[in-house]
Amino acid sequence: MEPLKVVVAGPVGAGKSTFIRTLSETEVVDTDALASEEIGKETTTVAMDYGTLHLGDQLLYLFGTPGQDRFDFMWDVLSEGALGLLMLVRGDKPEDFGSARRLLDYITSRHPVPYVLGVTRQDQPPVWGPEEVAPFFGVPQERVVGLNARDPRSAVGPLVRLLELMVDE
Amino acid sequence: MSLDDLLPFLSSRDGALELFNLKRLPQVTLYFQKGKLNCVYLGNKPVDALQARSVIGELINARKGSFEFIPGARAKVCPELLGWPVDRMLISVTTTYDEYAQVSDRLPHPETVFKLTHIAVPDDTRLSDFWKRAHIYLQNGISAKDLASKLGMPVDHARFYLLKLQQLGAVSAARAHNAPEKKRRTSAAARLLGSLKKRFFGEGSAWSH
Repeated sequence: MEPLKVVVAGPVGAGKSTFIRTLSETEVVDTDALASEEIGKETTTVAMDYGTLHLGDQLLYLFGTPGQDRFDFMWDVLSEGALGLLMLVRGDKPEDFGSARRLLDYITSRHPVPYVLGVTRQDQPPVWGPEEVAPFFGVPQERVVGLNARDPRSAVGPLVRLLELMVDE
Repeated sequence: MSLDDLLPFLSSRDGALELFNLKRLPQVTLYFQKGKLNCVYLGNKPVDALQARSVIGELINARKGSFEFIPGARAKVCPELLGWPVDRMLISVTTTYDEYAQVSDRLPHPETVFKLTHIAVPDDTRLSDFWKRAHIYLQNGISAKDLASKLGMPVDHARFYLLKLQQLGAVSAARAHNAPEKKRRTSAAARLLGSLKKRFFGEGSAWSH
């Protein structure tokens, strides 16, 4: 059976690498490098993060995209033929919502890929909740899920929602 | 002398201001009459209101160039008489550029495809000029890059206008569709869902998120 892939995208610092490390059953391959500009953290993903999940006899790849614009060619490379897209955005950093919407709009207008928006850091209030974030992105409420990317049972929520929506459509 | 100093000074006179030796534009000619900018030529062709705004914006941002004022000169052909009071036009263009600088990191990607969500001409004249020319293309979905090419304006200006229309709810990103792929995905999702829940929540456990 051919492996399937889910793309995890979002602005710098949204929690993509953490999310993949939390869910992956294998050691995550990352491509972190020292940040060459001020992005609020020391290292950042420059090519992709890569983790795996075996679900029954199906292998699922989790690919994390780099958050910075100058690696935007990777968004297309990774989104091509993906099963779904999980767009992560930090709930305590509304100044990033604009760049997250920009990324979501770009990928979903070019690739016919189902998506769910995950709002991270729900365990660290004060934080924007999914119901508050959905109108900004102009997406239906059911496509927005809150999560704590460090907790496996919480982190898996957006992936479950994504699959549920795909089955229901 | 900057253009926003020069324009009010010359616009009280009737005539043509020719600007040349510009880095990003061919020769531009601005025709004034009674304190109003009536016509803009790019090279030897008149431009419409939308393009005229882009040209003025580019001129204000151009650091270098040469100019010559020709008193009494009038445009031979001017299909769209602009009639813009120079002071208001300068405020409008400068405001647009200030806004542009504020949102530059949030502008849509040049290749993101946008579609109309409802048809209502925006009140803001800067947006309504763009709207008049763009809405036909937006009905079927188009990117800033393609729109800029069709309307003869810089891509970044098209991105700015699309962001503004998106903020007003007048356009939204078009979501790509592919029916055969959707069928394949639905089948895969149905297979994966049960295994995923079982793995993270155990057999038969309650699920709530």
